[in-house]
This record gives sequence, C-alpha cells and structure tokens, in this order.
Amino acid sequence: MSDIKMSRNSIKVMPGALVCEESKLRGDITIGKDCIVHPMATIIAEAAPIIIGENCLIEEQASIIYRVPFDKVEDKDNIPPLKIGSFNVFEVGCVVEAASIGNNNVFEAKCFVGNKVTVTNGCTIGAGCHLTEEQELKENIIIYGSNCQMREGLSKPMPQYSQMDTLMKILPNYHHIRKPSVKGK
Amino acid sequence: MPLYEVEKSVIVLDIGTSFTKFGFTSEPAPRSIYRTQVKSKGQIRELWDYRDAQDLYDMLVDFFHDIYFKYALNSPKDKPIVIVESLLCPIIFRETLAKVLYKHYGVSSILLLSSHLVSLAPLAIDTALVLDVGYKEAVCIPVCYGMPMIHAWQALNLGSQTIHKHLQMLLNEKNSGAQNLSEMTLEDIKVRCCFVTKKSRAQQLQTLKPQIEMCPEIKYPVKGSTTISVCGTTREKAYEILFDEDADHLCLPTMILDALMKVNIDLKHQLAENIVLIGGTTMAMGFKSRLKEELLCHSKEERYKKLNIKCFKFHTSPSKENYAAWLGGAIYGSTDCLNTKAIQRRNILKKRNYLIGRI
Amino acid sequence: MSAGIIDIDYVKYACTCGLLKTLQQLYFCRYCSELRCSFCVSHEVDSHFCGKCCENLPSPEARVKKNRCVNCFICPSCHHELSTRIASKQPATPEEAKATKRTYYLSCLCCRWSSRDIGLPDQTSATGSWPKRKTFMQDKEFFKRKQKEKIISYTDKTGITAASLRKRIGLPEDKPILKLKNAVKMVTPSIAQEDIDDFDEEVLTKSINLLEITSIDQRLLQPDVQPVEMNMIFPVQKMLSIKRSLRCRSCEHNVSKPEYNPNSIKFKIQLFAFYHIPEIRIVTVQPLRAGVPAELLIKFTNPTQHQTTISFLPFDTPIEIKESTAEVGGSKGEDDTSDLDKSLPLMKVIPSGAKVMALVDSHLNMSRSSARMVTPRPLDVSINCDVEIPSSTFILPPRDDAAEYDDFNEAHNIQDDKKLVIWRKSNKAFIKLIVTPKEDTSIGTVITAGFTMSHLYTNTITSVAENKKPQKFNHNIKLILDLGKSVGSE
Repeated sequence: MSDIKMSRNSIKVMPGALVCEESKLRGDITIGKDCIVHPMATIIAEAAPIIIGENCLIEEQASIIYRVPFDKVEDKDNIPPLKIGSFNVFEVGCVVEAASIGNNNVFEAKCFVGNKVTVTNGCTIGAGCHLTEEQELKENIIIYGSNCQMREGLSKPMPQYSQMDTLMKILPNYHHIRKPSVKGK
Repeated sequence: MPLYEVEKSVIVLDIGTSFTKFGFTSEPAPRSIYRTQVKSKGQIRELWDYRDAQDLYDMLVDFFHDIYFKYALNSPKDKPIVIVESLLCPIIFRETLAKVLYKHYGVSSILLLSSHLVSLAPLAIDTALVLDVGYKEAVCIPVCYGMPMIHAWQALNLGSQTIHKHLQMLLNEKNSGAQNLSEMTLEDIKVRCCFVTKKSRAQQLQTLKPQIEMCPEIKYPVKGSTTISVCGTTREKAYEILFDEDADHLCLPTMILDALMKVNIDLKHQLAENIVLIGGTTMAMGFKSRLKEELLCHSKEERYKKLNIKCFKFHTSPSKENYAAWLGGAIYGSTDCLNTKAIQRRNILKKRNYLIGRI
Repeated sequence: MSAGIIDIDYVKYACTCGLLKTLQQLYFCRYCSELRCSFCVSHEVDSHFCGKCCENLPSPEARVKKNRCVNCFICPSCHHELSTRIASKQPATPEEAKATKRTYYLSCLCCRWSSRDIGLPDQTSATGSWPKRKTFMQDKEFFKRKQKEKIISYTDKTGITAASLRKRIGLPEDKPILKLKNAVKMVTPSIAQEDIDDFDEEVLTKSINLLEITSIDQRLLQPDVQPVEMNMIFPVQKMLSIKRSLRCRSCEHNVSKPEYNPNSIKFKIQLFAFYHIPEIRIVTVQPLRAGVPAELLIKFTNPTQHQTTISFLPFDTPIEIKESTAEVGGSKGEDDTSDLDKSLPLMKVIPSGAKVMALVDSHLNMSRSSARMVTPRPLDVSINCDVEIPSSTFILPPRDDAAEYDDFNEAHNIQDDKKLVIWRKSNKAFIKLIVTPKEDTSIGTVITAGFTMSHLYTNTITSVAENKKPQKFNHNIKLILDLGKSVGSE
C-alpha cells in the first residue's frame, strides 16, 4: 500500500526553492522558484497535482490539501491540477483546501479554508477564521475576527522579503534540505 | 471643600436597556457608548435581566466597577454622579442603584434626571411631546413648560427587540438555514440592510402581489459558514412592526395621538407641533418621515377626530438621537442643578437618624 | 506556581462579607485580622498609564487628555491597537532619497486596516502629529448657552442671588425649574420642522455593498460622529488604563498597593490571604455514597513564619467580628448601613425630575468610611454532607524555604494524633476526615462539605509598632469543599 503511494509521489522542486526533508509531501507536487517549505508542513495532492508558484512561504504545521472538488466527484479522471500562485503565505497551523488560490494571499495561523472556497488575489484569511461556505473571495478581501467579519483592503498584502531571506539563510543550518529535482542552468 | 471648586469630572450616565451612554458633564458627546452588560463568573449577562434585588445589587457593583475603573478612571468616593433614567424605571432598579452608589461606592450625591425632560435641554425648548423608542419599549410623555405630564404617558412594547424578532420571522419565511440567528447578528442585519419604507410602499407590500419594484437583495455572510440572502421585502418590512396596529389597535403613531388626547386642549396643538424623537431606534432611515405620514393618516380616524390636528412638526436634535437624553443630562449636570437638586448622601443618612429619633 | 493549577475552586473560603472565594482571590487585612475580597474592599485609582506605550500620566494630565493616550490609537474597524509603520515606498532616485524623509502610517495587524484606507496622508514623524478629526461642532449657541449657565451658577455660589440665600437659611428653593429656564431663554430655541425628509429614494434601486457600511460597534466607537460609511471612520485614541490600590473599608489600611511604574508588576503592599492563611487542598476522597462514611484526605500548608495550631469546629459555628480600635467606627458603620437600607424607601417619594429634597440641617458629619462597610450576607451554599469534627488539634510548623531541599530532616518531635494526621513534612500536613453525605442525596448530585477551621494567627503588626510581643489569637474561617458527585452502591 505504502509502496504504491510512494510510487505516486513525484515531487519537483525548482531551483532556488528551499524544501525541508521533514516536510510531508504526498502526490504530484511542483514547488516553484524561491519557495520555502518548513519542516512538518504538509502538502497532499490527493485529487490531482499541485503546482505552487514562486516565492511562497509554507510554515510548519500548515497543510495544503487538494481533495476532489465537490462538483467533480463524478468525473475523477478529469480534475485539473491545483495551481497556487506566487507570493502566498501559509502560516503556522493553517489548513487550506481551497479550490483555487491566486497570488499574494495570506493564510494566517490556524485558519481553515474549505474546498468550496475560491481564493483570488491579495486576500487575507485571519487567524482562526473558518471559511466553509461556497464563495469566491474577491480581490483584496480580508477576513478577520471570531465571526469572520469581512472587509475590503486597499491593496494586496506586502510580501515579506526580509523574513524569507532570513529563513533562506537559517533553515539550511539546522535542517536537511531536499535537493532541487529540476536542475537550473 | 472650597466654595469655588469646580467639579470638573462629573460622570453622566444613561443606562439604557441595550446600550449605556457614558460621559462627563459639559461635554458635547458621550465618551463611550457600550452594551449594558456585566461579566460575572466568566459569562456575560444583560444588566436588566436581573433575578432579584440581591442579584441586581451584585451586577450593579460590577457594572459600576467597570464604569469607574475602566471608563471614568476615577475613584467614586465623595464625588457626585448624574443619572439619566426613564420616569418608568422600576423602583427596585432605582433603589438598588442608589444603594450601590451610596453604600458601596460612597458617592457624595446622585442627580436623577428624567430622560424625557432633559432631552429638551439641547433644543432649548420647554414644551414638547417626547417619544423615546429604545430597545424594550417605546415611551411617549408630553412635557409642558418643563413639567412631564405623567398622566398622559403611553408605553408599548415596541423597540429594537420587537424588530429583531420580527426580522428573524421574516428571514425564516423567506429562506431556510437562517434559523436562530444571534441577537447581535440580527441587529447588524437591521442596521446595515434595513430601512423604514414609505407608507405607500408599505401598503403595497401588504398585498399579495405588490405592484412595486423591490429594492435589491443583499447577501449577508454569517460566520463564514452560511450566507443569508436578505431580500428586498425583508429589508423594507423589518420596521413595519412598529406601524402595524396590534390587537388593541395600538401602534407607535397612535401612542402619540393617545397622549395628545389626554392633555389639556390648549396644549394639544402646541405639542403636536413640537415632537421630539429620542432613542436609538428612531435613527433608522426614513423613520421620521414615515411617522409623520402615519400620524397624518391616523389622525383622520374616527377615534382621533376630536383632536382636529392637521399639522405635525418635528424637532431635529443637534446630537444623534441615541444619546439625546444623555446630552440633556450633561447640560443639566453642568449647571447649578448638580449642587442644589442632587440627593446628598448625608441627607439620606440624616433622614434615617431623624426617623430613628421619632421611633 | 501557575495560576491555572492554583486557581481551582474546589476549596472555597468564606470571606468576612459572606462571599465564597478561593484563597488566591482573598486578601487578609492584618490590622483587622479579617479576610477581605475584591467585593468588600474599596478600590481607588492609583495611577494612569497607557497600556500600549506604558507611558505614565499624572491624573490631572490624564483628565485634561480625556483619559486617552496621545500617541497610541486603536483601529476604528476592529478595535485592536494600531501600530505605526514606516512607509516602504522606495525613492526613485538617490537625490529623492536625500530630500524626502521617512514617512509613517498607522496599520492594524488584525484586520489590515490602515490610515491610508481613509486617505489620511502619511506623517513625517512617528508620534504626536496625527491629525485629529475636527470636533463634531454642535451649533455655537449650544456652547454659549452652557457658558451662560455657568456664570449664573457662579453668582449663585457667591451668595448674591435670592435663591442661594433661601438655600442657606434652609427654605425650599424658589421655583427651581423656572430658574433654569431663565438661563435657557438666552438662546434661540430650536424650531420644529414640518417638512422632514430622511428617506433616500436611492436605497430602493441602488444595490448596497455591505463592505462599505459600518457595523453598530464601529459606529459607537466614535459616539460623536457615528459614521455610517467605512470611509468616514477615523483612528481612535487609546483609552488609558489604571493601577488600583485596594483599601480595607473598616480600618482604611491598604491591602494592596501597586508600584507606580507601569512596567513593574510588583506591589508596595500586598496582603494576600495566600501569605497568611493556611492553604487547603483536597488530596483524595473515597467514593461518596448517600449515608455512607467516606475518608477525605486534605493537605494543610502553613505559609507564615510562625507556628500555628489548627482545630476543627462545626460549620455553623457563628463567627464573631472582633472588636479593636478601628472597629469602633466599623461596628457603628454596620448599624448605619442597615439603617440606610431602611431609609432608602424614602427615595420613592423623590421624583426623578429635578426636584429639591427638603434639607433640614446639614451639620451631621458622618465618618466617611462608616457608611460604606459592606454588610455581611448569609453564605450562599447548601451543605449536603456531614463532617465528623475531630476533637484533637494539630500543629503546623512555620514555613522554612530551606527545608524544601533538605531530604534528611524527616525527624520532627511533634506529638500527633495518629488518627488525624496521616503524614507530615516541614510546614505541610495530610489530615484525614470522615465525611458522610446526607441520606437523601440522590446519585450524581454534587457533594458539598463544610467546616470551620480555627487557626492560631500571630499578628506581628502590633509588635513592630508598639514593641510588644506578637499577639496570638485564634482566627476562624469557614471552608466549603466541593467533593465531586456522589455515586451509587457498588
């Protein structure tokens, strides 16, 4: 059983990305340039491949799970891959099962995004917010607070370059890093 | 105490059923408006849901503790306080309030002011028909030459609470899945989506097939797990409960007319031309114009024929209606009233000695 | 000593005022030798400070600033604190970098609201320069009227007017309401309008974007403006916080006084009961069955530097309030308060309108504290379990911090009743009691036991002050133990 699963695992790590070995990756996953995947982060491509764009930060205990979308249960073979855009941040302990994720989104600590939610660009899902209702989050929407209040932001959240740089330097000192599987020039 | 010492920070408090207005005398607006709730033993309770006098006493101690040490940041001891309250405030509440303030907090004096009377102070008038629509009830008392006409008072259980219940009922009718919304959510839907519609439209809405174009529907998300669609009719009908006659043919406009019926004939016209609306519910969009429409319509009815009033005039408060009574209290509290008319603690104690001497 | 472990309310102590609290919630006034709790001490404002920037403000200054911090703001959207951020706009050319200074804006880390959302320009300095919203202007007359009213009240105070003369000689005031009206007449009264149009036809056709309309909490955060649209909200200055000192109501001594510095969490005075009263914890209890005796093991700890003797008394032992110097006013005060209750119904005759209460004479000068004593209330507890009160007493040695690390000093020469004391070490002792739930308790009811503990308390206050020997006396405290639910037969 585990052998079959292992054989299905096909992890592509683009050059410049930093993927810790202790992370849990299952299925067909492509991790883009300059991404950081912390130890104990979980990415499961259950239904179809997951393609993660550039400069994404996936922190520890965060999980990205791509389940069979609720409207495609009948048609299991034709599920398109989940494309996650660039500059997304998945903070500690978040669970993201969203059907599609654009660019520059922030999933704050311990938030939950269900598989009926479509996340566009520049959205922020606040700490501890649970989104399950079928909906499409418009650009720059911010969800916050215990009652999932919603407001529209002025601009997309800033990418945290300095944090990414620090992590790029520090993480290799203490963790084993997965080697990029696709050679750069 | 020096004679000229100006008491700068005298607290003015209007303890509403839903919201408490807190501030200081001589200030144009309250410092804060917050829910009248008390946190005791880990749970939040409404102050007015007291079980008995002892329970109310304990809750008021906690309530004033918050007021003094969280909002006023002032020691209560030997300081006066201004309380704005309704004339229909239950005796148990007023007595317990006095006991808590004099005994537990040792305030020097309490100035109790009638909300209907003092809300005329910001308008600088002394005769008006004051209608206070709050959370639990609507109370209408005419004030003539600075004297509330208690015998003409009218009260009905019409307020935000009724609207919230009505709104929940309307939502239940229209779509499933919106059962048992919390009062806070209903309040938010009411504030953000609903309005008081015009009479002509209201009559159309009552018919089976309204011949009007509905206002747009609003999608209201609740807690990230459900989305309610608040349809046009619900938005317009939420406030209708205030204007629908109940079993006794009573509603908000008839309260005003009934109050007018009870006052002296010379005052009737003057009062009808001086109507003052206070309380948070009156802030709803379209409330005033609808009330006027309804008043004109009802005054033509047989029972109000002898009033013979054809004109109703409304005052516009310089403040927001929800703190109009508080503002009145702040004005009264900044005058000499505070020194002359407040009930001093030493007098309360002395009265007691006097009584003991007699017995 | 984390609060989570200690703050379990299985064992409750009855405060002098009759409320049941855990030991950690209680204070012990060393001067009255009584338990006090937050309900029956008087709270006083000690110092003002801002909870965010920890700046100290003297109270007059705090009052002038309306109890708000000048530099810290809270988010008008979600009520969290706003943080000041440096604008990250990179200058296009090096020359521009030299010319332009750093700019700052306010940003909320919870809902990501920023001062740019409402078009507030970025500021050149981080603190102090934030624009204030133009104060909501009432009509000018409103303020004029107030000033006039003030002048009138001054003349009244100087004793020039007839009204105040009347007041002095004790006559009821002359038409009090009319006087107020005279002051009011100086301004133009508001004129009622017949045409009112507060209905916006647009609402019938235009669809509403919920994200642009404020919620009621957002409106009430700014009571003077109560903005309806999101672009009207404005950063709100943060409310100051206070440090409180607590004072015993009967002897006016402080039971708790914090240090002035907002950064310090220490106290100048802290008379917590935890440092004076033996602590009791439940160790084990045998399964409780109605009418069946069960063994209860409890642990006593002596926190003081003096040896104490503990004895048990039945729960309903009356506790007398000791008489001492300070209590003369105190006991009188209790009479006062109970009488105050009787006098309060008089309030009924006072209408809430501005009416004068008849003043007769005002020479009575009550002791300030006396009327503010908290009247003890009956304990709000139902005991459904009998405790067999042991006749013997036991000794608890003083606390010795060094003994904690001394494994060999097991020997102690205390003669114990072996039936009562099961085990002891340094200042702790395990005590066995026999408890019997009442016959009529049904299965699953919470069993509450109670007894009165009498412990020998050594008061060192008088010895320090008057160079006498420390006073020793027995102090009685009622204890209520929650023993869990009763079970059925085996």
